[in-house]
Amino acid sequence: MEKPSILQNFDAKWAAIAAAVGILLLFVVLPMLYLIWRSVFIEGSFHFETYRQVYAQSANWKAFINTIYVSLAVTFVSVAVSFPLAWLVGRTDLPGKGFFRTTFIASYMIPPYVGAIAWTQLTSPNAGYLNDWLMATFGLAKAPFDIYGMGGLIWCLTLFYSPFAFITISRALEKMDPSLEEASRIAGASPLGTLWRVTLPLMFPSVIAGGVLVFIGVGSAFGIPAIIGMPAQIEVLTTRIVTYVYLGTGKGVRDATALAVSLMLAANFILYASTWLLARKDYVTISGKSTRPVLVELGRWKWPLAGLVSLYGFIAIILPMGSIVITSMIKSLSRPITLDNLTFRNWLAALHNDQYMTPLWTSFVTAAVAATAATAIAVFVAYLLIKTRTRGRTIPDSLSTLGGATPSIVIALALIITFSGEFGLNLYNTLAILIVAYMVKYLTMAVRTIAASMSQVHSSLEEAALNSGATWLQSLRDIMLPLIGPSLVAGWFLVFMPSFYELTMSIILYGSKTKTIGVLLYELQTYADPQDASVLAVIILFIILVGNIILRKVSKGAIGI
Amino acid sequence: MAEIRINCVTKKFGEVKAVDNFCATVGDGEFVSILGPSGCGKTTMLRMVAGFEKPTAGEIYIGDRLVSSPDKGIYVPPEKRSIGMVFQSYAVWPHMTVFENVGYPLKIKGLAKSEIAVRTNKALDLVHLGGLAQRLPSQLSGGQQQRVALARALVAEPDLLLLDEPLSNLDAKLRESMRFEIKELQKKLGVTVLYVTHDQAEAMAMSDRIVVMNAGVIHQIGDPVQVYETPANKVIADFIGLVNFLDAEAGEGGVKIPALGRTVHAPAGLGGKAVAAVRPENIALAAPGAGLTGTVIHKSYLGDTVDWRIELGGEQIRVIAPASAFQEYSAGDSIGLSVDKVMIFPA
Repeated sequence: MEKPSILQNFDAKWAAIAAAVGILLLFVVLPMLYLIWRSVFIEGSFHFETYRQVYAQSANWKAFINTIYVSLAVTFVSVAVSFPLAWLVGRTDLPGKGFFRTTFIASYMIPPYVGAIAWTQLTSPNAGYLNDWLMATFGLAKAPFDIYGMGGLIWCLTLFYSPFAFITISRALEKMDPSLEEASRIAGASPLGTLWRVTLPLMFPSVIAGGVLVFIGVGSAFGIPAIIGMPAQIEVLTTRIVTYVYLGTGKGVRDATALAVSLMLAANFILYASTWLLARKDYVTISGKSTRPVLVELGRWKWPLAGLVSLYGFIAIILPMGSIVITSMIKSLSRPITLDNLTFRNWLAALHNDQYMTPLWTSFVTAAVAATAATAIAVFVAYLLIKTRTRGRTIPDSLSTLGGATPSIVIALALIITFSGEFGLNLYNTLAILIVAYMVKYLTMAVRTIAASMSQVHSSLEEAALNSGATWLQSLRDIMLPLIGPSLVAGWFLVFMPSFYELTMSIILYGSKTKTIGVLLYELQTYADPQDASVLAVIILFIILVGNIILRKVSKGAIGI
Repeated sequence: MAEIRINCVTKKFGEVKAVDNFCATVGDGEFVSILGPSGCGKTTMLRMVAGFEKPTAGEIYIGDRLVSSPDKGIYVPPEKRSIGMVFQSYAVWPHMTVFENVGYPLKIKGLAKSEIAVRTNKALDLVHLGGLAQRLPSQLSGGQQQRVALARALVAEPDLLLLDEPLSNLDAKLRESMRFEIKELQKKLGVTVLYVTHDQAEAMAMSDRIVVMNAGVIHQIGDPVQVYETPANKVIADFIGLVNFLDAEAGEGGVKIPALGRTVHAPAGLGGKAVAAVRPENIALAAPGAGLTGTVIHKSYLGDTVDWRIELGGEQIRVIAPASAFQEYSAGDSIGLSVDKVMIFPA
């Protein structure tokens, strides 16, 4: 007689999956619920008093309004710029479009706070390179640009968050079944008519999806608002939350909690509203075949448009990155930019400065541990989602998505209040709390990548292994993992890189011995030393670049940040 | 001993019965095919034997071992069933060489490297892949990948081999030669085979017995001659081979078939409307005037034979005749017919 099925079903597969789910419950669900709980249960009674008090202060209410206003403005501008760019790059005979695509997507990998530092260098009213140059060239009496203001904030956020929209829209354009457009052409519509009547309506869901990503990204952003907004007295929710946490008082944390919950609810509301909207407009526009769409010929507009796109690329990426590199190499900031005023000495000095190298190493280790843990968990979450038919198999995946969609600042605050000993686990000021935060925020990147790869593995390949007598763990080791190997590496890097340069969560989670590179850079920029900030930014950009090259190599160009 | 006993197995997906009360036995060393159109539940049945699906009700024995019984809470997972299986998609692992693929079941058993090498090479020789051991699957043709899958299924010398439409992805010529090869291998190794296919020619060519399934239900179990010559019902007659259906009426004196102008003996219990079924090869052409007379509607030249459509007594029938015969007849001409072997089914 065989053993009863209950015992037989308790095998390695379910144990592993249960462990993954358990970790998600502990580090995603518990902190979020506890955060909400703490914001409405004060000293044993349930009320919304904290919210009333918090929003009674005009500074907080203003920050809330600013957050919504800035997010909406950046979203509209991003979509309005990204759609034409994505169309030009994906569907026309624009010269150099492969290069442009890589460039626009690449701007996604630049940490936003590095972009903010660059733009303060370029357009600060008293010493911005761009201002100086324009004043000297055109004999202006006054600096033409001032980055410190609402306009500068929206400008900088748009440049560094619009890639979310660009990537979403251009992927959808590339995947769209071209026969849908061809049918319109056959029916007599012109290329532009087709764009207007067929392509644009079909792209509506991805335009919305891209817009939502921008909206939530901007609403949760801390780096750019802190570096550009705060000096101009423009506060948003994230900067208010950090200020409250830095007060270090119980009331400060309580006020931060109320603001964080507001931010979380706003983000979730937008996310679910868009999902609901898109669910009703679920077009099947993606065919399984990879067909090559007929390109729209731009004719005499070709070169003018190429010039315009180049200009955008120059302003969005080359100008700010050039500014960072030059600042990092300049001998004397008070003298003009000439070759004999440039040196590599600043870089060497930074590399020998322990105060800089320790945070770099801290970031490297925490990001690597978070990436490794996230990849391991993602394997089981993805397996459960893709390869089993169990009821509730989508729950762990949803939890990882929830972590990814929750504003970083909210995750950080939730972890602080939950794991400062409240539940027998005190991670405050430890490396572990940074690792957990990175994992919660970026796990979904690994899950998405690995799940996509797993769904390409036909189930008969695994069945053949079981049939050969292999246990589930053996078949995972011998068949599944080797087959999805590249996606494991890709998933690892997709967690590692954003964790490595993370700022928003690190700024409230770091302790005196666990300062990260993002925090260090922010401190250097805000308090003292723009030049060393640039040196460190160059080092970060270099590491990201190397990581991205590895990622592209491993995934054969399919994945890159 | 690898007899398979499937006792009244039912498999439901939600409310849909994919397999309904399937009872059959495959004897030790026997080659049995489950034949049916796609979606009839045959692959689901095979996967229940393999252990990839669990029955909703019923019992499955492999040899004397009860491997699935929801009532008794018994379910043996696939890796504990010692079965060889060939998948429709071959499921050859793309990251392993031919040798690694075929040797995998032995590696899992924990055999010594030297023994794995000996037995793997033996299995490869068996399927004529001796020289390709170090190739990767991407360097093989579809037919060769098929042989890798077969070698992998046989390498551990299982008592039972399951094949899920293994030939359906091959081209027609290769398919016919593989039928023969698989049958030869089975005879040589004495392994019990359960084979799933929708191709009746394949089932007829290889099987000792055929289980004909439709819509989750077994319609007939019999050897190839039985299912072809005495199909259990109209559906099977239609599914296996070509058949002409003619209106008929069962009455006191037998079954009257107006198109043939003939009354035949009625099977027991038949009354009212009926159908007469005649295989195209059981109709012979003749000069007009001899036997029945029909009108040629259309003829298709197929090389060795000609496929005729002929109007007879208000119904259209199909006749397959040698290409050389009656070449001069064409559409609109009258032609003589003689009909042999008529099957009668309830309408």
